[in-house]
Amino acid sequence: MTATTASIQASGPTRRDARSKAAGSARYAADFPHGHPAYAALVRSTVARGTITAIETVRAEAVPGVQAVLTHRSFNRGLGDETFVMKGGHMQSSFMPLSSDAVHYAGQIVGLVLADTIEAAEEAAALVEVGTTREQASADMDAARAAPEDDEKAALCKGDADAAFASAPVKVDLRYDTPAQHHNPIELYATTAAWVGDQLTVNVPSQWVMGTQAGLAAIFGVPQENVHVECPYVGGGFGSKATILPHVVLIAEAARRLGRPVKLVVPRDAMWTVGSFRPATRARVALGAERDGTLTSIIFEETGQSSHIDHIAFPGSTAISRMYESKTLRTKQGTVATDVNTPGFQRAPAEASSFFGFESAIDELAVALDMDPIALRLKNEPAVDPIKGVPWSSRSLKRCYERGAELFGWDKRNAAPGMTSLPDGTLVGYGCATATYPSAMAPAAARVTLKGDGSLLVETAAHDLGTGAYTVLGQVAGEMLGVADGSIAVKLGDTTLPSGPMAGGSITTGSAGSAIHKAATQLRDRLADAATAPGAPFAGTAPSTLGFADGRVSAPGGVGHSLADLLAALKLGELAEDAEWKPHGMDDETASKGLGGGMAMAGPVSDVSSFSFGAQFAEVHVDPILRTVHVARMVGVFACGRIINERTTHSNLVGGMIWGAGFALLEQSKVDGPQAKFANADLAGYHIATNADIGEVTVETIPETDTAVNAIGAKAVGEIGIVGMPAAIANAVYNATGIRVRKTPILIEDLLER
Amino acid sequence: MTDGLPSRTTLELRLRINGRDHALGLDPRTTLLDALREHIGLTGTKVGCNHGTCGACTVHVDGRRQLACLMLAAMAEGREITTIEGLVSADGTPHPMQEAFVAHDALQCGYCTPGQIMSAVSCVEEGHARSDAEIREYMSGNLCRCGAYPNIVAAIREVAGTSAAPSGGRSA
Repeated sequence: MTATTASIQASGPTRRDARSKAAGSARYAADFPHGHPAYAALVRSTVARGTITAIETVRAEAVPGVQAVLTHRSFNRGLGDETFVMKGGHMQSSFMPLSSDAVHYAGQIVGLVLADTIEAAEEAAALVEVGTTREQASADMDAARAAPEDDEKAALCKGDADAAFASAPVKVDLRYDTPAQHHNPIELYATTAAWVGDQLTVNVPSQWVMGTQAGLAAIFGVPQENVHVECPYVGGGFGSKATILPHVVLIAEAARRLGRPVKLVVPRDAMWTVGSFRPATRARVALGAERDGTLTSIIFEETGQSSHIDHIAFPGSTAISRMYESKTLRTKQGTVATDVNTPGFQRAPAEASSFFGFESAIDELAVALDMDPIALRLKNEPAVDPIKGVPWSSRSLKRCYERGAELFGWDKRNAAPGMTSLPDGTLVGYGCATATYPSAMAPAAARVTLKGDGSLLVETAAHDLGTGAYTVLGQVAGEMLGVADGSIAVKLGDTTLPSGPMAGGSITTGSAGSAIHKAATQLRDRLADAATAPGAPFAGTAPSTLGFADGRVSAPGGVGHSLADLLAALKLGELAEDAEWKPHGMDDETASKGLGGGMAMAGPVSDVSSFSFGAQFAEVHVDPILRTVHVARMVGVFACGRIINERTTHSNLVGGMIWGAGFALLEQSKVDGPQAKFANADLAGYHIATNADIGEVTVETIPETDTAVNAIGAKAVGEIGIVGMPAAIANAVYNATGIRVRKTPILIEDLLER
Repeated sequence: MTDGLPSRTTLELRLRINGRDHALGLDPRTTLLDALREHIGLTGTKVGCNHGTCGACTVHVDGRRQLACLMLAAMAEGREITTIEGLVSADGTPHPMQEAFVAHDALQCGYCTPGQIMSAVSCVEEGHARSDAEIREYMSGNLCRCGAYPNIVAAIREVAGTSAAPSGGRSA
């Protein structure tokens, strides 16, 4: 076993933005100077559901330095309409705080204080007195005041799964729970807004600058180009910054009223309720098989937590149904409304929660069959998409398992639980699980410019959340034009650039990368044509035979010219090409909506089915007395199409696996039942993985040539890393202890001998 | 005092940051973190929680690591404060720890990175980088939500000159 992570050994250019980040000079949303802004502080409801009957701001307004206190009574109601992202808009929720006297969830913004200093704003916010009626509320999906609703459109059916299950010789029928979780990027939701006339500039950490621009323009009734959203760096997103959070609107409106820039840094505890979160889920997984392990029935029934304000669902069925061949399958999806802020996308929103139960159940079926869990999985590998019947654009899961088992040392596993220990008595368990993630894509535009000195500039309003997009997207253009990585500049995260897609659904490389590939191809063709025209340096040479490498252009067998010399000889100055790209099969109207800042995602199924796949392994150590669980090792082998930069890709996958370890053992937003609110809303109470929680992590990628998914052959990377890890760890805990824990996080009390 | 509210004195103080003196007039409640970011414009030090749980605001005060959100600016007067911007040498050469973070891809979104690097420099200086397990323990006050931990450990190990130790705890 290697003692270092694979990412260190991985090849690929250094992360393009690493130096500025290590120097502290990379500018995040709250780092942009805006003269002397007014500082904002939030007043939030302590009541979960009711009506505001009194709001006293006199004491707050008396604090020296306070400029204004905005409440539902004073907030501008003349703003334009914008809707919830799932209804075609851009907002995190359809509810706008300060728009009425209604309180829908604990932690809802009910007031906004604006002052000359942070200290005065915070002092005054604490002095605002809010009187609210208190109505029955529940933030807990198991004690909801509403009945669950079926989402019939998300249900899948193939054959009679219940009959096949009833007659199956070997079967399991189990229930799995996952809790609410919060993204908690280390960068807080910060927003600074400044108006000059009817021009608005907003510095907000955003995974969707184009959507934020479109939404704010609609709300404030100004042309889209009057709104400038600027965030070249995002301090972690994970889905939390994908939509417009309501406070961004409040801050922009406050800045308009004050005629002065306004800055808000949302406090950590408010991060639980001013944005979204990963909803809790309850799942039933029933699997039936022949004695040889052939799956005959898959039944998956899942209910997710939603809010009373909005309906939002993340059905696990789409991915679950692609994993195994089975002659029958039935899935059922539902939601239950609770009195919370509306849940939203969080890293692998549908997959991470559903795969915990589903891939745990596969392991339980392997135990019932007395079969190796990898052998069970590979026995039921589907040759084509089991639901659509179309071929896979690529699927190398078998190779992932073969390589992963070798890297991990799966052959050393004792299948009998509780039988492996270290000399000091520490229990050792091995587990594995499968990961998948769909490869969707969205329309994108890009501009590639070849500068007079032979360097490249690549521009698109896509985003690098730490994913490596700055590096990878530059490489796409660089390899087309033969420009070395050090001579490439990339601009992202700014609405003045050509339109880019939301950084969500692991689509950035495939989408923005395809647009860049197209623009770079046009540029190369244009330069080749000019260079081979009569009187040009390569006159008489066929344009298609010119080679572009190492910053030079050459004819077959010739030395050629540097790009800079060639541009000079052609008197071209610099050469820029713009391109728009849309996913295969997407109609022009949808593509145009997407390029204009609307939601437009396609895939992963058209005439082929495109998913990334991975095999994930965990070794856990369980203290025989204290029952603490330590993840000593994690191994992940993934097949995600072409890997443009192993270095940044492996780091992304390692990070996803660490998220998965946190999912399995640490993360849960606990609900205070009577108060109907999240009770552990800070990083002392909500545990994410620390350095000491994580042992060795090894990642490899299986090279795939996928010519069907998109022009650059890149499938989804950003989210798959988390997907199989919770089940792999739960399965390893079972192997170590013989105790099957069917909920996360797996805690000490779940592992006490019964 | 008027109307039960605290008086509004402005505190005049001098802070010595990265070898340079800064004269400031601050609300006495101003934290060192807000003084750096909002009053001096040194935004390399990041805000992540404002209550000492994430480590993003780690700076050095008199050569020791300190969470800038848990220290009032007034408490920092007369002390030597170093931020991420001050880690670079006078001729612009990055600190070896900054170079190691770049070389090992020990960052993703980069937001926790200044705090990680300030802690990492101290971790080595304190003599707490003698093994991977020790590095992990003494770096656990700095949260990284992207999960760059294994590469952070590798970067620190390199700077500390620690030979690669088996990192996964004990193997079965």
